[in-house]
Amino acid sequence: MASENENSNTKSSSLPKLLVPVLAIGGLGVMAVMGLVAAFVITGWLGQPVPVLGFEQTFDQPIDFPHTIHASTKQLDYVPADGLSTMEGLGLDCTFCHRTVTTQANAGIPSVAFCVTCHQVIGAANNPQLTILRDAANLTNSLGQSAGQIRDLKEAGLSVEELDGAAPVNWKRVHRLPDHVRFVHEPHIRYLTQNPDVVKGSTDGVTVGAAGVCSTCHGNVAAMKQVEQVEPLKMGQCVDCHRDNGAPTDCVACHY
Amino acid sequence: MTTASLKGPNWGMVVDVDKCIGCMACVIACQAENNVPLNTQDRVERGRAISWIRVERYWEGDFPDSKARFIPIMCQHCANAPCEPVCPVFATYHNSEGLNIQVYNRCVGTRYCANGCPYIVRFFNYWEPVWPESLRNHLNPDVTVRSRGIMEKCTFCVHRIRRESRKARSEGRVLLDGEVQTACSTACPTSALNFGNFNDPNSKVSKMKDDQRHYTLLDQFATEPNVIYLAKVDTDRKVGAGEAASHG
Repeated sequence: MASENENSNTKSSSLPKLLVPVLAIGGLGVMAVMGLVAAFVITGWLGQPVPVLGFEQTFDQPIDFPHTIHASTKQLDYVPADGLSTMEGLGLDCTFCHRTVTTQANAGIPSVAFCVTCHQVIGAANNPQLTILRDAANLTNSLGQSAGQIRDLKEAGLSVEELDGAAPVNWKRVHRLPDHVRFVHEPHIRYLTQNPDVVKGSTDGVTVGAAGVCSTCHGNVAAMKQVEQVEPLKMGQCVDCHRDNGAPTDCVACHY
Repeated sequence: MTTASLKGPNWGMVVDVDKCIGCMACVIACQAENNVPLNTQDRVERGRAISWIRVERYWEGDFPDSKARFIPIMCQHCANAPCEPVCPVFATYHNSEGLNIQVYNRCVGTRYCANGCPYIVRFFNYWEPVWPESLRNHLNPDVTVRSRGIMEKCTFCVHRIRRESRKARSEGRVLLDGEVQTACSTACPTSALNFGNFNDPNSKVSKMKDDQRHYTLLDQFATEPNVIYLAKVDTDRKVGAGEAASHG
């Protein structure tokens, strides 16, 4: 009994000496972790969470589709994969590819067949990104890669839609709303086109027309090599804009 | 009284019970249109089946001379709704178009509203809805799939109202009478279900609701429903089906 008491006495006298620095360092660590978590939650609550742990607002797509080449009107500041030294962007309007945006709920992703109407001819044969596209459209294997052969086959009455094995590209969605939200592009595009003073966001390097309207929520996509979400697209943002512009703020305007 | 002061549309329905043949087409149409989960035998036996519109059947008389009576019942979209004031999170409310709205993302599943409803047309999702693989692509993309733990009910096909009014606005015109139709009224083969705007005096439903056969369900509760029923005319008995209960 006596020896046990001695042991416990020595323990209790030595413990505080160890505990104080351990608790202090541990406490600081816990505080730091809590601060980081709080910062993450607050940024996520107010806008977008800080881009860590897979919370990035952009994704690697199956094809590195450059909006810069297609939508921008500016001189590109990088060398495209074809090895052309310099080129200007095409300055296509958003609605050239996203065709249903002015009439329907979804903006629409162009089909592979739509892409290859240009890209069966345009773009180098060995461009690795275009090879993915042509493979998806089953152009590379069945038609070969020269424009002349394709033209011959087209004259033989073979349209791109009739080719076997054409598969859609599995694009990853960047702008996603929750399932209980019904967003329809058509009235938004219509209103913003009729009220250009409401349009926010930069249209630098973007063509006029619908493209400038799109930048209100999507940012300057023409300047993005990889599309990312720039606006939080949370309900507060929707409601603010609806209130400012006299749009309905009834719950059932979007939730049904 | 509230209906007259509204500026916009006041959506409502006139159900001509005389025309209802109890074919259940409205029930099927609603189930398909609104992503209503499948009702298995187990769920029906436990009284937890979900059916936004149902056709109640009553037998009248003894066997050789018995007659079947049908009455379709959906959410009555009451102007003075008993379900609305009891919700603690304002997930159900009345909007300016005369609709009783259920906001799925606000609902926390207290089920007070279903207890308050005298028509028993509110349904609680006791299970996560699942569909067989063959029906996966049959879901309506315009309607939210309600998850487990929230209340749901007839919306008067508000997605169709939104779609048609959006179309009218983009074409720069007003909505025409009969342009918005619910799934059940579209499916009804005898036009027993009629959907329209009560605030438009020239609409079909406005003219129908002044018929002398009109009555509302459980009007002793003063819920002021937006669904008006027209009683069945029985040439043998010379009384309407609305009064039939008291005559046994």
